[in-house]
Amino acid sequence: MSSMEEVMIHSSSFLLPSIPADKASAYAIVVLNQNLPRFTPLLWEHAKLRLCADGGANRIYDELPLFFPHEDALLIRNRYKPDVIKGDMDSIRPDVLNFYVSLGTKVIDESHDQDTTDLDKCILFIRDSTLNQESCRILATGALGGRFDHEAGNLNVLYRYPDTRIILLSDDCLIQLLPKTHRHEIRVQPSLQGPHCGLIPIGAPSAKTTTTGLQWDLNNTEMRFGGLVSTSNMVKGEKITVESDSDLLWTISIKKQDSTRP
Amino acid sequence: MEVMSHSSSFLLPAGETSAKRYALIVLNQNIPCFTPLLWEHAKLRLCADGGANRIYDELPLFFPREDALLIRNRYKPDVIKGDMDSIRPDVLRFYLSLGTKVIDESHDQDTTDLDKCILFIRDSPLNQESSKLQILATGALGGRFDHEAGNLNVLYRYPDTRITLLSDDCLIQLLPKTHRHEIHIQPSLLGPHCGLIPIGAPSAKTTTTGLQWDLTDTEMRFGGLVSTSNLVKGEKITVESDSDLLWTISIKKQDPNKTLRSG
Repeated sequence: MSSMEEVMIHSSSFLLPSIPADKASAYAIVVLNQNLPRFTPLLWEHAKLRLCADGGANRIYDELPLFFPHEDALLIRNRYKPDVIKGDMDSIRPDVLNFYVSLGTKVIDESHDQDTTDLDKCILFIRDSTLNQESCRILATGALGGRFDHEAGNLNVLYRYPDTRIILLSDDCLIQLLPKTHRHEIRVQPSLQGPHCGLIPIGAPSAKTTTTGLQWDLNNTEMRFGGLVSTSNMVKGEKITVESDSDLLWTISIKKQDSTRP
Repeated sequence: MEVMSHSSSFLLPAGETSAKRYALIVLNQNIPCFTPLLWEHAKLRLCADGGANRIYDELPLFFPREDALLIRNRYKPDVIKGDMDSIRPDVLRFYLSLGTKVIDESHDQDTTDLDKCILFIRDSPLNQESSKLQILATGALGGRFDHEAGNLNVLYRYPDTRITLLSDDCLIQLLPKTHRHEIHIQPSLLGPHCGLIPIGAPSAKTTTTGLQWDLTDTEMRFGGLVSTSNLVKGEKITVESDSDLLWTISIKKQDPNKTLRSG
């Protein structure tokens, strides 16, 4: 591994109540069709572009008001209005669709295109939008859980768009791709994340991976399915570094918080 | 190349199948709605640590008209094994008092709870060379992704042991590259959604029959084509590949009164 490799820095400032100005990135959020993580309102506030992939709109409609039990559901639904609903429209409920259309949400029916997943369609939309800048990051909820072939397809999206920063989020963890083309510095927010973490060689084995900042660091260590995969590891501080000959998935647990309202 | 045959008779009502030899491992996630059925099929029932909390708390919910204590007595694990950092003290005491064997492995931090349970099953006198136990595991998916990846890796690390991971939504099995595979589907219980996933390494050539979008010496890899959102077309799928693949198929929502009736 060359020391001339560029460093890619990863932070999770989107989990902070307010993002420091020097760390401001343009975030887009894509909501897929699984239970919303409890910090979804926070992600929504940070995002400049908010998309629901098909049945993800049902989730926003049904579940966001549950995070605000003392407020009127209709008020919440008006406040958390997606900019776009895109996908093949085979999951969104008619009443949900009518509601958001009446609010002015742009609905893009892609039911003619069965070759790409709903997440693909949303990523392509974001990439073509004016939001697409160097620092645009895509936060996607609901990509994990449910049918495993869906989950695998969503993980594959990270590999198929290696130049786009995509973070998959659930209540329990986040997942990011660490492309082999870069050295990686991962900045951890200890009050919000960890300590449980892992490095997963999905797709291909890694002959040599080296890390710092983990309880069980790797040192030119081989990783592969059928052998060693770094799971149930722990972060030791606030900065992790990773260098590998193979694309890896980085995953870290998200701490249960008392309140995530912005 | 030898043929490996796969069926899902563990999803059929217990009286309708010829005696199969299953072991069940319950891990610490929500238990699928058909867990009572799996329990009936199993000759050996293990809870991995906090999986015991799930059996204790959630099984009675599947039998709302029956007394919870009766259900807890009926569905008693043979073994609770693991590092014991998740099981609740009240749950542990309850099953100890019923005679469940508790094996505290908290000294061993190098293997996961699922590993520990698989090793126990392999060493069990019920597991004979002539008649091996097939392992069914619930709760291996969902939750923390590093846990899930570790559980998927268990399939790769024990390629000679038949292990099926099960959730409410789907099942996952390893198809080792050393065999041609015939997968027999119960259409009333499984499908149509399915996939073939080259999780550990790319596949230069995979060939299938019986799928909506069959593969013919097709390359699959992360970063390229992975067979997801595929559909089964009939009751028999065949797969042949140069790489170990994960096979996954959706599980149909059932009328609870049909599958939970346990003879």
